[in-house]
Amino acid sequence: MARYLFFRLLTMFGTLLVISFLMFVVIKLPPGDFLSNQIAELRSQGESASIEKAEFLRQQYGLDRPFFAQYFSWLGVWPGPNGFSGLLQGDWGWSFEYERPVDQVVGDTLSLTILVNLATILFIYIVALPIGIYSATRQYSIGDYGITLVGYIGLATPNFLLGLIMLFYANRWFGVSIGGLMDPVFEDQPWSLAKIWSVLAHLVVPTIVIGTSGTAAMIRRLRANLLDELQKQYYTTAKSKGLRPTKALVKYPLRMALNPFVADIGNLLPSMVSGSVLVSLVLSLPTVGPILLDALSSQDQYLAGFILMFTAVLTVIGMMVSDVLLAILDPRIRFSAR
Amino acid sequence: MNKLTLSGLALSSLLLFSNIASALELVETTTLQDAVAAGELPAVQDRVPSEPYISDLAAKGQAVGKHGGELRTLISKAKSVRYMVVWGYARLLGYDEQYNLVPDILKAVDNEDNKVFTLHLRPGHKWSNGDPFTADDFIYYWNDVANNELTSPSGPPAFMVINGEPATVEKIDAVTVRYSWSSSNPNFLPSFAKARPPFIYRPSTYLKQFHADYVDEASLTAQIEEAGVRSWAALHNRKDNLYKNNNPDLPTLQPWMNTTAAPANRFIMKRNPYFHRVDSTGQQLPYIDQVTMNVSSGGLISAKANAGETDLQSRGLSFSDITVLKEGESRHGYKTHLWPVAKASEIALYPNLNNTDPMWRKLLRDKRFRWALSHGIDRKIINRSIFFGLAKESANTLLPSSPLFNQTHADSGAALDLEKANALLDEIGLTDRDSNGFRKLPNGETLEIIVETAGESSQQVDVLQLVSETWKEIGVKLFIKPSDRTVLRNRSYAGETVMTVWSGWDNGIASADMSPGELAPTRQDNLGWPMWGQFYETKGQNGEAPDIASAQRLMELNKAWQEASDKSAKEAAWNEMLAIHADELFIIGIVSGSRQPVVVAGNLKNVPEVAPYSWDPGGQWGVCHPDEFFFSN
Repeated sequence: MARYLFFRLLTMFGTLLVISFLMFVVIKLPPGDFLSNQIAELRSQGESASIEKAEFLRQQYGLDRPFFAQYFSWLGVWPGPNGFSGLLQGDWGWSFEYERPVDQVVGDTLSLTILVNLATILFIYIVALPIGIYSATRQYSIGDYGITLVGYIGLATPNFLLGLIMLFYANRWFGVSIGGLMDPVFEDQPWSLAKIWSVLAHLVVPTIVIGTSGTAAMIRRLRANLLDELQKQYYTTAKSKGLRPTKALVKYPLRMALNPFVADIGNLLPSMVSGSVLVSLVLSLPTVGPILLDALSSQDQYLAGFILMFTAVLTVIGMMVSDVLLAILDPRIRFSAR
Repeated sequence: MNKLTLSGLALSSLLLFSNIASALELVETTTLQDAVAAGELPAVQDRVPSEPYISDLAAKGQAVGKHGGELRTLISKAKSVRYMVVWGYARLLGYDEQYNLVPDILKAVDNEDNKVFTLHLRPGHKWSNGDPFTADDFIYYWNDVANNELTSPSGPPAFMVINGEPATVEKIDAVTVRYSWSSSNPNFLPSFAKARPPFIYRPSTYLKQFHADYVDEASLTAQIEEAGVRSWAALHNRKDNLYKNNNPDLPTLQPWMNTTAAPANRFIMKRNPYFHRVDSTGQQLPYIDQVTMNVSSGGLISAKANAGETDLQSRGLSFSDITVLKEGESRHGYKTHLWPVAKASEIALYPNLNNTDPMWRKLLRDKRFRWALSHGIDRKIINRSIFFGLAKESANTLLPSSPLFNQTHADSGAALDLEKANALLDEIGLTDRDSNGFRKLPNGETLEIIVETAGESSQQVDVLQLVSETWKEIGVKLFIKPSDRTVLRNRSYAGETVMTVWSGWDNGIASADMSPGELAPTRQDNLGWPMWGQFYETKGQNGEAPDIASAQRLMELNKAWQEASDKSAKEAAWNEMLAIHADELFIIGIVSGSRQPVVVAGNLKNVPEVAPYSWDPGGQWGVCHPDEFFFSN
């Protein structure tokens, strides 16, 4: 096991290195950089007075240096304008858009991002598990068809459209302010019961909107897996031995059908941070998603690079955790891994 | 001493004002009474300059207001707090409602031949933290910011350097500064009134604590590290953001001051207790206590306005939102005003005269070709189907509200006349047709014009689709190619585009005193002649010199305007430039005077129902002086 872990860690590191390079290339692909874009923008508005300031920043942050020098000094294996100071040294870089270090920009939104995505994941599990079991055990019943129909609609509706409609009616019927994660008056106030209530009220729409497609997918997957198991002989045997139906179901086939849930952890971890970009953008949620999108479109290279890198690290870790967990849970996987 | 009308006007109005001022009894702001009583703030007499700017509301047909209230508005990004500086519109000199340049922060200006400018400050004027605002703040900017090679590596801004000669700046006394050049600098004063003004003054008392010439550099180390920057100059520049408005500690002269540091989703702008304007009853402005800017994603702004979550909103709203906005009016008690957009043309086609393909270049430079294309556009249908008939069918020229407006310029080539268009194209020699009835180019290919768009507005694409319908009838094929703003610009600069779609001149309500630079090939970002513009901008190092007579004439006239000493000479330059454009149709305008929806809460008073909506001049609602807006209950 230790040997396995060691090699996994080694490949993880290699993967991250390749990812970081590809990412940097893609971010730098469009012509120009953040400051040259800003200068063009300023010039087009006839605001030549502030161009000098942009030039100042350009030298300060080494954007005038060649590609590889920028990449390696971002990693921290090459001296930048300020000596060795990069990811490896724990310096995440500078956001031009926000004019502050990247960790400060991301740090503030990270907790809310995790809150939203955690709520969504819980929503998915709580809704999908019972419905999935129900529709598998009562295959081809009216209930199963009904849920399947609703599930397909959930998968097929563009969730930003659903979001806008729900926001509009949540405002009209329940007086919940449109967009955001709390009523604007609470933004700069300390935490209080009223504020928590406001956050909860505002969480409803995003959770449902982000969760619908995930829920639908989860229901289908659980149903399919469970149906496979329910046809196997051990289940028939268990039932014929007189085991109560619930126990027979929960004790054996359900456990087998849960494998995909565990395998999903690898995807869940990164999606806690970078999931729901589009919905966050449309619903004006103060999460990492909109920051990432802005950073990419304005070529705020270190900010975008950091968020993507962070997500990549989470993905790699998530994959590893789910692999290890699966191996522990399911002997068949453990053996076939050899 | 040869004084210009401006200073004469300033002085006469000053005399008038000082008469009122001496008779004016200042009234303490109700919402600041507690702070004054507690000794946290000096009394109003000590906060307002001894000769304040007096807003004569009655003369503007507006009501005298009362203090208090919170104005909510929505912004799409945290960095949009800068619009508070645009809308606050406290400028050294600013435009009044008729777009005359009048003193605002300054008490008066003396202007000798556009070469020597003497700025007179208001005695007793203070920054928002109570520090005195004096000539030292101007000197600090010039000596320690603009001419310090660490804070400004490329030196003072271009408008203060004329033919390589930087300004000579002298402090005459505490309230008088003089800027002089040996040759004329007509853009100096109008620059102050811009939506984004050049701040030639800085709060020196505050900023000196970050300047290594005034404090020991070692004592700044801790702050440099904390801010995550790399030198004292970077720290200084980060603190010094009068326009970006993102440093709550930085004193300001605007009516409201930012009290919230980014990152945040809600920015509170509190009244500036030292603001220099008062109304005619002696109440200090602004009336409104607090402006709250809530950050919301751009796509939700119309929905939030519909739900009554904003008191004053124009940014983030567009023409297509009007129906949504009208729908919510009765439920939430707001009004949707439709302000005419002050661009010379809402949607305009830019034939690229610098196209690198010799065949296209020859064709696009043929005046008859541009006239034919213009006559081939059915502006009436476009106006009716896309702008509800609210826009004006017009060539790209100044709008009727400009004193320089001329109806014949607006009508130039603006009528749908397929017969004439066809005749012109035949005359050029484009008579061969392909099997689909489209004309052929001299090289035998189909005459297909690729119009590139920045891909930001679906309206542009809708309009182009209507254009392509009527162009088909004159045998011209139109292909719409959506692109990206930066890519589009770079392609145009390189001469790779045949035609692009953009809006017309930014300033459609210019008067003779405003620079006609936009009309001449002086800027690379004019997509019709990027190389000529680049040639001028780089002083001949890059690009190409204008090589057609009318463009050269435009350059001469622009120069003549800069050197003109009286208004009639400036007017003459403007009129000839406008006539050249009307004759040449360098930019093919389609419609102008589209409407900008402005949502105004029902109880918010003194907001004009109709006003020109423009970034420059005027700073959107800035020219309406939002400090005079108030809530009626």
